[in-house]
Amino acid sequence: MMKNHTLNRRHFLGASSLLLGSTALPSFVWAQGEPIKIGTLTPLTGSGGPYGPVMANTVKAVVDEVNAAGGVLGRKIEVISEDDQTNPEAGVRAARKLIDVDAVSAIVGTWASSVTTAVAPLCWESKTFLATVSGADSITELPHQGYLVRTQPNTTLQGRKFGEFAAAEGAKRVFFVSPQTPYAESQFQNITKAVEAAGGETSSLIYDDKKPSYRSEVDEVMRFEPDAIIFGGYTPDTTVMLKELYRAGYQGKKIAFAYAVNEKLVDSVPAEVVEGCYTIAPSSNESSTAYQRLVKLIGVDSPDPYTVQVYDQINLIIMAMAAAGDSSGTAIKDAIRKVSQAADGTKVDNAVDGLKLIAEGKPVNYEGASGPCDFTDKGDISDSSFRYEQVRDGKLTLIKIA
Amino acid sequence: MTILLQALLNGVMNGALIAVPAIGFTAIFAVLRYPNFAIAAYATIGAFAAWWVNVHFGAGILPALLIAFAVAGCVGVSAEETALKPLRGAGALTVAIGSIALNTVLENVVRLFFGNDLRGYDLPLVPDWRFMGLRVGPQQLQSLFFAVVIMGAVFAFLRYTRFGKAMRAVADNPDLARLKGIEPAHIAVMTIFLGAGLAGIGGVLIGLDASIDPMLGFRVLLTVFAAAVLGGLGSIPGAVAGALAIGIAEECALLVVPATYRSAVGFAAILLVLTVRPRGFFGERAN
Repeated sequence: MMKNHTLNRRHFLGASSLLLGSTALPSFVWAQGEPIKIGTLTPLTGSGGPYGPVMANTVKAVVDEVNAAGGVLGRKIEVISEDDQTNPEAGVRAARKLIDVDAVSAIVGTWASSVTTAVAPLCWESKTFLATVSGADSITELPHQGYLVRTQPNTTLQGRKFGEFAAAEGAKRVFFVSPQTPYAESQFQNITKAVEAAGGETSSLIYDDKKPSYRSEVDEVMRFEPDAIIFGGYTPDTTVMLKELYRAGYQGKKIAFAYAVNEKLVDSVPAEVVEGCYTIAPSSNESSTAYQRLVKLIGVDSPDPYTVQVYDQINLIIMAMAAAGDSSGTAIKDAIRKVSQAADGTKVDNAVDGLKLIAEGKPVNYEGASGPCDFTDKGDISDSSFRYEQVRDGKLTLIKIA
Repeated sequence: MTILLQALLNGVMNGALIAVPAIGFTAIFAVLRYPNFAIAAYATIGAFAAWWVNVHFGAGILPALLIAFAVAGCVGVSAEETALKPLRGAGALTVAIGSIALNTVLENVVRLFFGNDLRGYDLPLVPDWRFMGLRVGPQQLQSLFFAVVIMGAVFAFLRYTRFGKAMRAVADNPDLARLKGIEPAHIAVMTIFLGAGLAGIGGVLIGLDASIDPMLGFRVLLTVFAAAVLGGLGSIPGAVAGALAIGIAEECALLVVPATYRSAVGFAAILLVLTVRPRGFFGERAN
């Protein structure tokens, strides 16, 4: 009985050391020291679920390319992917694992503003760099000490673009309707700034998006006699609002977020309700060489904006590590603007080329697939292109990318 | 003045839409003595059933309403028999909580088949009519008309048919009704069918006004519940009065408070009425 037991334990120990050995194998094979670890924290499930998997794969594809070209700082990079479930609580648990267990230098790809807001403090406390695609203004207002950048234009920038577009279309009386969202207030302020600069007037109405009908709200909108209405809501409430405005006989311009007035909305309402409606969305820079490289790299014809942004994030982080000569989160924080916006830098559109130039001691300036990728001190991007579309004959038609 | 009249008009229209599912809710409460929150899912199911026959078979609004009534009613009865009936012995609160769970399950079954996308009925959208500075939509008028006809039919059913009288008898005094030879189990099934079916019709009317998605019923559930409570739980005329009162209060309040507080206004009205009159407008007994 005793003997059997001892034998069994030996077997067990032998087998487990073999197993352990095999997981450690890759680092022996590289024989270049420990790999540098980078985490992706994207929503693989939940409302961000359509985007997260592609984002994580894109990061892996970029890293594979860099590893094939010899890695960075003489080391390979290892990507560890976790799921934030589009849920702050799950996001925090996954971030804890990435930071405490895997000891990653950087986390890329947090999508929902709520998740980013929850995860960011863990990152700056542990000196881990965080790159996000979330849009809420409040995120870069956090005391992140430089450990956070985002590639998504914030609502200040988006509000300004809406206002400028309305003014450029000749609107003098612009009305903003929106449900209660974290960004409705700042968006309206920035619309007003742009419209008033062009000599126009604005007014706004914040509605309760849980109501089945908005007749009285629409009456209030119509009393302002607007010649342009900007919709700040999501698809379900914007659908109802558009129908009510049509019934009320509104004839002016309509401008909405592209995520609200999308193909599904256009298909679900009678054509005349949404005809002529403009949509605005932050746009990838589709004519950039970085964008074309990305399309080839992941084999997706028109990657979504978040995939495009996460591609830029991983390229920037890898180059920042090379420029700093160190792979820590602090090194990335200190060096990221040196590779994203060096005034005298050679323009590059991918990390592999960038790493070569950095090795030769030359400064680089990354021009990304999502845009120029220049960051303010707070961590916001300073400019971005926007995509303007209009519903014409029941189809969303591209007007311009500017 | 015109503004106030317009708000009143809008309130009546909205209230009439809420009244139909509120009757269903209160009828179930009257007979079975528990609040059935699954009527949100029955409204959604009714809306989707009507959408299905409207888009795929070109059914007009009237047949679509009948289909919605039948489908929501049948789903209601089978869900009640399988999920909620076994809980009845454990008390009203248990059944009410069970109905919340049932609502979530049914809503997700709808999601499984139809997805989360927004849908609209394949019916033309007509601009509003205007008169004396007021505007009124032909579609809203049509919905109002249907709502009134359906309410009339329900009243007639309860007043003049054997089943209706039996239902009222059970609601009034279940023990006495049993002594008189009324089988409560049959009445319960009938009531659930009627209640769920009315919720289904309400779903269609709301969907006509807005759009259809799996959350349709859930979005109006609180208002429906509030209308029933305000009118006095278990009283059918009360549900109608409560729905109209909530609709009018919400719309008129928009003239003075920001639209974000619309729901809050409805509930403030309930608080006020129930403080003064705990059994609601027409409630016979205060629980």
